[in-house]
Amino acid sequence: MKLIKVLIVVLAFGLAQSCSDILDRTPQGEYTLDNFFQNEEQAIQAINAIYAQLRNWEVHVFSYIGMTDIISDDSDKGSFPADAFFLQELDDFTYTATNVAPSSVWSGYYDGIFRANLAIANLPEVPELDEQLQERLIGEAKFLRAYFYFSLVRWFGDVPLITEPFPDEFSLPRTPAEQVYQQVITDLMDAAAVLPEKSEYPAIDLGRATKGAANGILAKVYLTRGEFDLALNAANTVINSQEYDLFPNYNNLFREQGENSEESIFEVQTAAFETGGGGSQYNEVQGVRGEPNLGWGFNRPSDDLISAYELGDPRREATILYVGEVLPDGSDIVQDNPNIVGERFNQKAWVPEHPGGNGNGPGNIRILRFADILLVAAEAANETGDPGATLENLNRVRARARGNSSVLPDVTTTNQSDLRLAIWRERRVELALEQQRWFDLVRQGRAAEVMQALGKDFVEAKHELFPIPQGEIDLSQGALSQNPGY
Amino acid sequence: MKPLLFFVLFCTSAGVIFAQTTVRGTVTSAGEPLIGVSVQATGTTTGAVTDVDGSYQISLPSGIDSLSFSYVGFQPHTVFVGNRTIVDVVLEEATEILTQVVVVGYGVQQKNDLTGAVAVVEAKDLGDIPTQNLGQALQGKVAGLQIIPTSGAPGAGAVFRIRGIGTLNDADPLFVVDGMIVNDINFINPRDVESVSVLKDASSTAIYGARGANGVIIVTTKQGSARDGGINVSAYTGSQEVVNTIDLVNATQYATLINEADLNEGRTPRYPNPDSFGVGTNWQDEVFNTAPIVNLAVGFSGGNERSTFNLTADYFRQEGIISGSEFDRFTTRINTTQKIKNWLTIGGNVSLIYNTSDNVNAGGILLGAYRSDPLTPAIEEDGSFGNTAINGNTGNPVATIFYANNESQSYRAVGNVFGEVKFLRHFTFRTNFGLDFVYSRNRNFTPVFEVSAIQRNEESRINAFNSYRRNWLWENTVAYQQTIGQHAFDAIVGLTYQDNFGEFLSGSRENLIGEDPSFLYLNSGEPLTSLASGGIFGGDWGLESYLGRINYTFDNRYLLTLSGRIDGSSRFGESNRYGFFPSVGLGWNLSNEDFWNPDGIISRLKLRGSWGQTGNDRIGNYSYTALVTSGLGAVFGPNEDLLQGSTLTQLANPNIRWEETSQVDLGVELGLFQNKLLLEVDAYRRVTDGVLFAAAIPDYLGASAPTRNISEVLNEGIDLKIEWRETTAGGFTYRIGGNASFIDNEVLKVDDLDSDLFAGGLGVGGQLGTNSRAGFPIGAFFGYELDGVFQNADELERFAQLGTQQIGDLRFRDQNGDGVITADGDRVVLGAAIPDLIVGFNGYFAYGGFDFSFDLIGQFGNEVINAKKMARFGAYNFETSFLDRWTGEGTSNTEPRVTFAGPNLENLSTRFVEDGSYIRLRNIQLGYTLPASLTSRLKLRELRVYVSGTNLWTDQEYSGYNPEIFNGSVFDNGIDRGTIYPIAKTVNVGIDLKF
Repeated sequence: MKLIKVLIVVLAFGLAQSCSDILDRTPQGEYTLDNFFQNEEQAIQAINAIYAQLRNWEVHVFSYIGMTDIISDDSDKGSFPADAFFLQELDDFTYTATNVAPSSVWSGYYDGIFRANLAIANLPEVPELDEQLQERLIGEAKFLRAYFYFSLVRWFGDVPLITEPFPDEFSLPRTPAEQVYQQVITDLMDAAAVLPEKSEYPAIDLGRATKGAANGILAKVYLTRGEFDLALNAANTVINSQEYDLFPNYNNLFREQGENSEESIFEVQTAAFETGGGGSQYNEVQGVRGEPNLGWGFNRPSDDLISAYELGDPRREATILYVGEVLPDGSDIVQDNPNIVGERFNQKAWVPEHPGGNGNGPGNIRILRFADILLVAAEAANETGDPGATLENLNRVRARARGNSSVLPDVTTTNQSDLRLAIWRERRVELALEQQRWFDLVRQGRAAEVMQALGKDFVEAKHELFPIPQGEIDLSQGALSQNPGY
Repeated sequence: MKPLLFFVLFCTSAGVIFAQTTVRGTVTSAGEPLIGVSVQATGTTTGAVTDVDGSYQISLPSGIDSLSFSYVGFQPHTVFVGNRTIVDVVLEEATEILTQVVVVGYGVQQKNDLTGAVAVVEAKDLGDIPTQNLGQALQGKVAGLQIIPTSGAPGAGAVFRIRGIGTLNDADPLFVVDGMIVNDINFINPRDVESVSVLKDASSTAIYGARGANGVIIVTTKQGSARDGGINVSAYTGSQEVVNTIDLVNATQYATLINEADLNEGRTPRYPNPDSFGVGTNWQDEVFNTAPIVNLAVGFSGGNERSTFNLTADYFRQEGIISGSEFDRFTTRINTTQKIKNWLTIGGNVSLIYNTSDNVNAGGILLGAYRSDPLTPAIEEDGSFGNTAINGNTGNPVATIFYANNESQSYRAVGNVFGEVKFLRHFTFRTNFGLDFVYSRNRNFTPVFEVSAIQRNEESRINAFNSYRRNWLWENTVAYQQTIGQHAFDAIVGLTYQDNFGEFLSGSRENLIGEDPSFLYLNSGEPLTSLASGGIFGGDWGLESYLGRINYTFDNRYLLTLSGRIDGSSRFGESNRYGFFPSVGLGWNLSNEDFWNPDGIISRLKLRGSWGQTGNDRIGNYSYTALVTSGLGAVFGPNEDLLQGSTLTQLANPNIRWEETSQVDLGVELGLFQNKLLLEVDAYRRVTDGVLFAAAIPDYLGASAPTRNISEVLNEGIDLKIEWRETTAGGFTYRIGGNASFIDNEVLKVDDLDSDLFAGGLGVGGQLGTNSRAGFPIGAFFGYELDGVFQNADELERFAQLGTQQIGDLRFRDQNGDGVITADGDRVVLGAAIPDLIVGFNGYFAYGGFDFSFDLIGQFGNEVINAKKMARFGAYNFETSFLDRWTGEGTSNTEPRVTFAGPNLENLSTRFVEDGSYIRLRNIQLGYTLPASLTSRLKLRELRVYVSGTNLWTDQEYSGYNPEIFNGSVFDNGIDRGTIYPIAKTVNVGIDLKF
């Protein structure tokens, strides 16, 4: 009997051991890093998630517009005086290291970099992934990583250069801008080497990074660095690829029919669905505030921008939406809102409707178009002493803007400094309110001159760069240093 | 019906041959006859037992002149007989400490042998508070246990906080019912409860290891017994109404205030003649009603030496004080044991519960009643609902009630079966398997209706939600018990496994083909409008545990308890998969020392102390691994297709582990005046470190911060319990008791950077009302201190302003003296929801069949944010406090001028922080038990009728319904957003019958 009882006990405990796998769980309904990156579908999804970040609020919407257009001479904050005061601080150069805008783009762009780093690190390990596809996907990730870093380095100068998803240390110092630029150039060259041309992609992949986009951004990188030979070379690669041309109608370029046109080199793809999702708030924040109520009314075109256009330049009307003006689709007239002084809006960001909610804008965000590249080529050619190529590229842009009218005559001077100014002005009006102006002013070394002339409190050797977000300095446990003057 | 289950036994002895005296009498306690009392001629084997009337008859051998009475649970009593032939005796209930058996984790212990801080509430102390919820019945009963009713909705539960809040996450204690570890005890019918043990210190909770850090509540349900088997029938019915209403202005006052606000904001006053509106609509009267409550219960129990059973069935129905809400519950339970062999016992405790409820959107209704203007009638003369959107920009709450069609059901089976094998004389092996299975469903139907522009629905819609959760537990333990001379050993080791899993499935459709109840299924809706989702529900985790405990007692004087548990949890990272949680407890029964005079004033004295470590494993199911976020789609192609995108967006913490609490407890147990007065004091200090928190990391890392074991929380306090109990010679029994809990809660560390930890949205511009940074209590209210009202232009010039302020606006204190009021520099701690002191005070008095009892509860030193008063998005109605507004220099220095918005309303300041202290008469009851002589003629064992009242009287400062405000997160409590279903006061009449 004793034996039986002891046996029962031993048996029960023995049996209980069969439960010992109870601690091994797999998260249900969710992938983990352990079982992700296991097939082609997941590899593509990981890349798509980087593109998804391009529609993000922090990356291409509110603070982004503030730190490219509103801060520049092209536009004022807009909306009600007290609305989003941190953007007014940008306009007034009173911002400090705790301003929301720099920390917002900082966070958004680094989130994109993390996703790119994760994909670049993991794609080579995806089993049975077609080698060509793998190359292309990594190329896309590198292109996007370069794009993110290129913006960061222009805004902040030295930034932590992180190329691994999981750095060993959380406290990281800033990397010299030169090194960041080298990484950007390497990534873009890698991308250009493997990415297909726009025409080589299947139709369903329209919107993905192309060889042309990589070379185009590369041209701008070189231009920014004053490496005009290289810039010209890269721009010419794009021009000579026969992949791109100017869209005939400047006004329609920013309407739905102008999306992914022959002029488009890279644009953020958006589509607003009735059920929500797919869009961005890019259109809403710049939309008409008041009647018809389409948005928040930020990024108000400045008086200075209006006066920058040559007489009769049709691009002015295509860029600025005034009170009393008929909407581009003819559906309504912009009404005066008594609470906003001097209402005007960025017409390029205008879209007729926001399916699935006002925050769901369907307008593609134009990042790089052929006219930009022609002007890069013009500027680089001028700086390298080739007035012929300069004029050819410059006048090609003016000709399209002119259309059938008799305004905007061809530029004929071959004087290098006159040409320089002509190109700079052409860039300004051609690309107005397309978030290029601030980077151009700083790159051209005349931000202080231009902004001070407008009575802004721009401090030279300070405001060319934004402050490193104070929260980041704190969280880095002091590893990050601040930019001068902040 | 044969009530005479007991019969008189006469025992004679050899003493028969001597001359004898026959003595008879009755034995009672608290006016009730005691059945089965053993009566013995002192020092002999001659004895008798009392019968159903408590009478006995015994032949007293000559030379013996006294009788000894003994009865389980009562103090033994010896009486000198002398020449008397009738000796009536009143027995006193044993002062529990001497005999009380306390249920502890994985066993029972004599109260005297305990080294830990364990509070016990027995069935009789739970009283007859008419509630379906055990938690609510426990309020005010235990020092160190705070009970917060989650709401006053029918069927609502309660939240338990043992010794403060020891985490920034889930602070619920662990619940154990008859050995089964469950997620909550809301399913338990309070009538089924034999005792509730509240394990507070580490010596008692360490045996629950990684789940013991926030304390343990052990519920033991009633077993059948041979002694008082029979049939019990109980019923009560009552009526409930809202405890108090909020003082809101009437129509004339409303129009006056709106006119003033118009003027103050530069507009023309909108109501030319406010007086013409009279009193107007009292919206609270429109939504609250008097609601019935009914309970009917029947129980059967019995047994013999080899088997016991207890079977109960209980029906409870409660309508809500907000019209349209109702809760019905049917509970059955069967507890049974069977001694198959002398060495083998098996048994089980199984409960089946079905409940159903009609739900209303209490938050919307309450806010509607609070905000709707009194000018608009609830229902217009033409029968349509009043349009409260025009003036107040809010929904008509009466319409909200009318269009509500939301019902839920839950089916639950909870229970365990066990077998016990005694072997090798001192050992007992026990295997126990428990299961908790819940299936719940909810259906919400919204018809097409239009009350106003903001209260309408264009397409009929049905939402369905179904879920199940199951949780099984298998425990195998071996217990050892042996006394060798003065050394008593009691030990247990065990191996347990537990597994929890659940799933939900939900869907919705629009445009139903019909609106009758028979059409309220998803299939009646348009397929194209179909939405569905499903996934894990209620957790996915497994636990593997090894536990052990040794109790050693030397000569009933020196006590030692060593206990510990190793818990392996699927929730912990691989590198920290197993945690060890040890504890040690020491006790010294001073009053058992030879030198102690037990007849002195101090009849009992015990000192005890404990230290131990316990854990909190509620850290999320998969926090250790890097989860891939889906839904990050990107658009490509000429057709603009949204393609799937997925990647990591949060860093994982593979080292994640339990939160660890170290607790020191020192206790004194004192008995005075033959233990009539009992005192128990515990002082504790519990520090939780490794509290999980997603401490911020630099954004350049590109992903959200992982949760890390980084924060620290301290709770210190004193638990005090005092009780006086006595039965006088005249048969008057009474108990008076009280308990007090002093709590000091403090965040010691949030992260390495001493960050602010803002939370607690106030519903105004994203403003957060609490800050839990180091040095503050958890969820401390954080805002501006009021310094007065700007009385004139000079003051406006002289004092700091928040933005641009005007005369008549609130003046906030410039804490840092920089001449301007800023969020960064001038906000301070304005209070907290955690009380400094919680008290309970109760009494029980019985004499001659009557019994009377009361329970008072109270809490002090906590505050409430009256957030509903801050959020004004329309011309809402006003609390009467607005009538004391500033209207010119010198009129008020506390209430500002009336405005629709601005810093007076939209910034958290002392203006909205109110004292949350209260004292409440939780329960008062008067009962009468018919005399045994009468009941026995009715063939009954007992018949008692009673009348009781719950929450009849409250003294509170707070202007809202109830200052006990639980919103879920520990950062969010005490914020009254005006959405919590108020508690009710209830009057009941009831009857208890025993056959």
